[in-house]
Amino acid sequence: MHRTTCHPWIATHWTSAIGSRIIVIHTPHSLEKATTPSTTEPPIWLEGLRRNDPATVRALYAAHFPAVKQYVLANSGTTTDAEDIFQEAITVLWMRAKEGGLDASADPGGFLFRVSKYKWLDVVRSAAHKHMKVVHDDRQLETHDEQDHDLEARIVRLRGVYDKLDDKCRTVLDRFYFERKDLASIASEMGVEEESIRTIKYRCMMKLRAFRRTISGEDQRQA
Amino acid sequence: MNEGTLDRKRFEAIEAYVMGRMSDDERARFEQDMATDPTLRAEVDLQRENTMAIELGGMDRLLKQVRAEQQRTSEGSGGNGWTTYLKYAAAIALLIAGALWWLDRAPQHDRLFAEHHVADPGLPVPMSLPAERAGATNDAAFHDAMVAYKLGDFAEARSKWTSLLNAAPGNDTLRYYIAQAALAEGDADSAVPLFEQVAADAASVFSGKARWYLFLAHLKRGDRTAMQALHLEDDAVYGERARAILEAFEP
Repeated sequence: MHRTTCHPWIATHWTSAIGSRIIVIHTPHSLEKATTPSTTEPPIWLEGLRRNDPATVRALYAAHFPAVKQYVLANSGTTTDAEDIFQEAITVLWMRAKEGGLDASADPGGFLFRVSKYKWLDVVRSAAHKHMKVVHDDRQLETHDEQDHDLEARIVRLRGVYDKLDDKCRTVLDRFYFERKDLASIASEMGVEEESIRTIKYRCMMKLRAFRRTISGEDQRQA
Repeated sequence: MNEGTLDRKRFEAIEAYVMGRMSDDERARFEQDMATDPTLRAEVDLQRENTMAIELGGMDRLLKQVRAEQQRTSEGSGGNGWTTYLKYAAAIALLIAGALWWLDRAPQHDRLFAEHHVADPGLPVPMSLPAERAGATNDAAFHDAMVAYKLGDFAEARSKWTSLLNAAPGNDTLRYYIAQAALAEGDADSAVPLFEQVAADAASVFSGKARWYLFLAHLKRGDRTAMQALHLEDDAVYGERARAILEAFEP
């Protein structure tokens, strides 16, 4: 089993390569060796993701981004491309972790690589890259999981909701719901009374509620 | 679904449930209520979804931060360590030089103002209006502006309060806080006439504080004569500070 020295719970395994006729989409040979994630140790990474722990996110990024970057660079992409798709892949992993879609034996490295890979293949096949004349043998392409498609659509919707918040609301709600700080700490950081933060939080959440009700009404009218 | 308003008590109960902050007994009771109340179930679903949207926003922000950190790490490991060190050292030296220059060159009255001015902390922001009505009344608009003020968005607060003052020109509270926001932005010229009106209104609860801030606004403008004309040196609350400032502010 391959392990990093800093994070014993981070293990990796990789799936098979795919072929193309002009640009060869391939997985580095060194990554094709399958490894088995540990099932005896507690999934600290999973608990960390569920509580939005920055150290867990940093560890996952440091441990698994290099392999994704290597894959993207080897397949006509740039470092920025690799960063973009890896960021989205971690978001998908995090959403799955939050919503109970991952079990204790899940391998975060394998998951991140798989999601990054299909995302990069989507990019390569997109109109922007048609000039590259990439022609794949579709029979060898991995299918994009339907569950992942639904999750990505949901992520887009949720980002649309978040975009409706102004900076003040984001600051307060982010600290309370994402960073899980208590009202007293947020009030102290922002130099206002705890009751003010409680009120701001309530009012911001009611704005979101009113927005969601509007969206729901529009959906029903369209239906 | 979710028609009407959601009062704060009910909202916070749903929040505690969604965030897993209920005791076992509370949770059991809440789930019993949900079993028989479809409206409550819909509210719980909606709040769970909104909470997830906020958490996703936080995760996006965190990932951007981590990405930037990784980029810096990569650049650092690929470059000359001494070059990086020298860049930081140069930046720090520049900042120190800038601060020294400011202390040396800034007018005396500006430095005294910076030393003594602390903006009024503002009024508590009560919550009594449902979100659907927020913004529909002057109270809600006033509190919206107060929230902006407390968060340091003085321009926004000033703009919102000024609109309200146009509709209620006799309101001393609005006048006082508009002046506070103006002074906090460094616009002492706009703050002075507003503070003067409030200070002259003996019936206003803000009268005493307005005199002190008027004194500071004059200080900001470097107008020592106007400061002395207020005779604040004898004030029971502000006298000591006023005397110290006048002594330090050489003519």
